[in-house]
Amino acid sequence: MADEPSLLERIKRHDQQALAEVHDRYFNQIYHYINYRLGDSDTAADLAGEVFLALIKALKKGKPPKTSLSGWLYAVARNLTADHIRQKVTTVPLIEDLEADTPSLTDQIYIAQLTPTLKQCILELTDEQQHVIALRFGQGLSLADTAELMDKSVGAVKALQHRALASLARLMPLEVQQDG
Amino acid sequence: MDKFESILDESISALQAGVPIEEILAEAPDYAQELRPLLYAAMVLADPNPVLVPKERKEALRTQYLAQAAALPAVKPTFNDKMRAVLHIIRRRLTKGALLNDLVTVGLTVILTLIMTALIVSFAARDSIPGDLLYSVKRISETIRLSLTFDDQQRAELENTLNHERITEIEQLIKLDRAAVVHFKGVLDTKGENLWVVEGLTVFLPEDDFIVQGDPQEGDIVDVVGSLRTNNILIADTIIKESNRP
Repeated sequence: MADEPSLLERIKRHDQQALAEVHDRYFNQIYHYINYRLGDSDTAADLAGEVFLALIKALKKGKPPKTSLSGWLYAVARNLTADHIRQKVTTVPLIEDLEADTPSLTDQIYIAQLTPTLKQCILELTDEQQHVIALRFGQGLSLADTAELMDKSVGAVKALQHRALASLARLMPLEVQQDG
Repeated sequence: MDKFESILDESISALQAGVPIEEILAEAPDYAQELRPLLYAAMVLADPNPVLVPKERKEALRTQYLAQAAALPAVKPTFNDKMRAVLHIIRRRLTKGALLNDLVTVGLTVILTLIMTALIVSFAARDSIPGDLLYSVKRISETIRLSLTFDDQQRAELENTLNHERITEIEQLIKLDRAAVVHFKGVLDTKGENLWVVEGLTVFLPEDDFIVQGDPQEGDIVDVVGSLRTNNILIADTIIKESNRP
């Protein structure tokens, strides 16, 4: 499989094989990102499809991604998701299944209390905070990878992550915070 | 604040690795109160079982995407693209291993080419006679053969063969009626006043500008340098006694 810079060079030349490889490599990641933020798999699939069609449009206009292909795809996904949220505020069931983490009984009780609250609170975050949360916790990316995709320093992402989590904690009902 | 952010990130990493929250908080008791709600939030935010897009849906979106991709106009590489491609190849060849590989390849190619050229030229020169373009090549290859022959007996046999070759060359020159400077060794058969016979060849001794070294006598081996003229007369320039009668 080609590395990202050479893949980017090939799609700039409208190489059909490279364009197919881009879809095969990044579609699931982009879909998961959008689905994480929207909690709507049907809309997420539509928007993920739009992200890749946007790439074709950009190539047609002669304005391809300059440096980072994945960064460009995530940026388009972020904008489309934010637009969608602005147009239609929905309930956002962020996490449906937490069994895989098998937390302790105390944690389970706490999470059971927090989950519906957080689902409501997540939309109160800024778009940038939602973006960093989706990349770090939805995509499971490292700080360094998140920083690269967001074109920010690791320190800036660390601070953004802290502010996002702190905002969520502040938005939570008082009794939930005090229970800890 | 930076310290807390680092502790928070380390705690999140531990949480993602499956460490229970209470253990994480016990490691940082001073920050436990502030960390606890953030870690619970982080735990809830994790997405351990992401929903997969249905295969048919994904395939339909891929087909739509590829159809639009196929409609893109072909892009001819610009001069900059070509230059980038050339630079990319050069950069790949500039690694230590690739450079060494290139040097070895070029070195071996040059050596093999030189050896092949030398072999072909010396083969072409094997029948040349004095005055021919390739005669010097023939003499050089003979010198190399002599210098590479270390056994005394074999060396003596080779020298004898080469001496006969010189006599044969002079006979060919006489047959072709060609003038040339000649150099040969042989037995002094007859020693007259102005005419000597060396290895069956008649050698005239000029009155002036003529050098004889060692007072050679009949039966001695002599080294002769002279000029063969078109009238088949061989005039000696120097005659040097090499050794006494064997």
